Amino acid sequence: MEETVRKIMEPILSVENLSVHFSDKPVLQDVSLSLWPGEITVIVGPSGSGKSTLLRAVNRLNELYPHCRTSGSVRLRIHGESGDVYRGFMALSELRQRVGMVFQTPAVFPFSIQKNLTLPLQVYLGVNGSTLTERMEEILRDVGLWEEVKDRLRDDATTLSGGQQQRLCIARMLALKPAVLLLDEPTASLDFKSAARIEKLLLNLKRRYGILAVSHSLAQTRRIADRVCVLREGRIVQELDHEHLRDPDAFQTIIDVAF
Amino acid sequence: MKRVSDRIVTGAAWLSGGGLMLAAAVVIGFLILRGYKNLDLALLFGDTPWQAAIMGERPVFGGIWPAFMGTFYLVFLSSAMAIPIGIASGIYLAEYASRRLRSLLGFFVDLLAGTPSIVMGLFGFTAILFLRKTLLPEAQTCLFLAAACIALLVLPYVIRITETSIEAIPEPLRLLGYSVGFTRWRNLRSVLLPLASRGMLSGAILAVGRASEDTAVILLTGVVAHAGIPGSMFDKFEALPFRIYYLAAEYRNLGELDQGFATSLVLLCISGTLFLIAVCLQKSAEMRWKRR
Repeated sequence: MEETVRKIMEPILSVENLSVHFSDKPVLQDVSLSLWPGEITVIVGPSGSGKSTLLRAVNRLNELYPHCRTSGSVRLRIHGESGDVYRGFMALSELRQRVGMVFQTPAVFPFSIQKNLTLPLQVYLGVNGSTLTERMEEILRDVGLWEEVKDRLRDDATTLSGGQQQRLCIARMLALKPAVLLLDEPTASLDFKSAARIEKLLLNLKRRYGILAVSHSLAQTRRIADRVCVLREGRIVQELDHEHLRDPDAFQTIIDVAF
Repeated sequence: MKRVSDRIVTGAAWLSGGGLMLAAAVVIGFLILRGYKNLDLALLFGDTPWQAAIMGERPVFGGIWPAFMGTFYLVFLSSAMAIPIGIASGIYLAEYASRRLRSLLGFFVDLLAGTPSIVMGLFGFTAILFLRKTLLPEAQTCLFLAAACIALLVLPYVIRITETSIEAIPEPLRLLGYSVGFTRWRNLRSVLLPLASRGMLSGAILAVGRASEDTAVILLTGVVAHAGIPGSMFDKFEALPFRIYYLAAEYRNLGELDQGFATSLVLLCISGTLFLIAVCLQKSAEMRWKRR
């Protein structure tokens, strides 16, 4: 049934025959995958298999590193229109707003908590005055951070705990009204409790956004993933769905073989 | 064993820091000791009533007011030329220039930084000679020429410090703005410049300090012992460091020498005040950048 629904719906993101080279060294080769709204797709694989490069290829962040060459296509569907982001579908800055990214280590701006959110809101959406404050509160409530920071909004964001910083980063990403979220091991540097909070948050968010995540933890992958792509040496060697994820032992065996 | 070496290094560090403070204290203490007696309105304005001198109603003879104003104009003019150009060049080198161009331009910046100030003075002097023979027979050494040569002298410091303070921002932070969709200019304005502002301030302070103390350049480009307050940028001018040099070299009695020490104190106060203003400006800018 689910498969049928998915076939009728168009994917929000489809990566086709994507290859990325750094200084002529292939990092990703011929990768294809699709992302549907309401689903979390998790990429797993040994380190150096190209997981982060795959995420950064979607929002074209790879281009900031020297000697990067990308071929293939990344098609995005927004408000019913779709196009290849490598062929001028939208401006680079708009692409990076629409495809938000969260990194392994929480990357807050070294400004106040408030400014971390208001800066992108002012820059892109031209929000000002009381609307700005309302919008900020709304987003902070969304990620469950409002109660913790409401009395210290002008404090430096770097004084927050790792888990709080990561939720602030997610909030900043959501402030820009994205369509797709890219999460690069978002809980890798966090303690168990903070990681659990973020996982819960992601399960809530998947109803509204397409989520492509990289995870280092197979247990976490089983908890949050709707689909899993196994990446090895720059190629997708296996795709798994709910069926495979249900039985932990079977999942472990598949992963062991794939790695 | 480790403990002993640790202690030695710690001790040496304390000693160096302490030595630095001691040296500064001795110099300033000596200046105060020799100069404080002469620190009065007469030092600044001579026999002229101070209100009339400040308003420019009557010229000042015997006081250092014209030199005070000359140095102020010189520092202001040369900073106004060097700081914006230096910061802009530093930003270009750190953010926009290709690797090859960066090392090429960097070489020229270092070359400029290594130019002795007397050479820069000679350059200004020769430039005027050239202008007199060609385009501007009326041209003479003046405040504007001195300020331009001083600006050239301090420019490399401002460029280098701006460049290194932007490059010192860790890579994840440099790229963070792009990941939320900032354009290069927006990333520079909203993230990189605020983070580099403290370093850029040091560059500006160094420029101001250097501009206020240099004697060799102005000696050849327009300073004179008695010129009064310059009426325009194209007049000759007086300056505090030259006044100090002049008093120290040609004093007729001990009273004049002590006047030189008092003048040094005044120069120190000007630099100190300018530093303080720069620090306050940077602090308030940082608050504005970070909080709101």
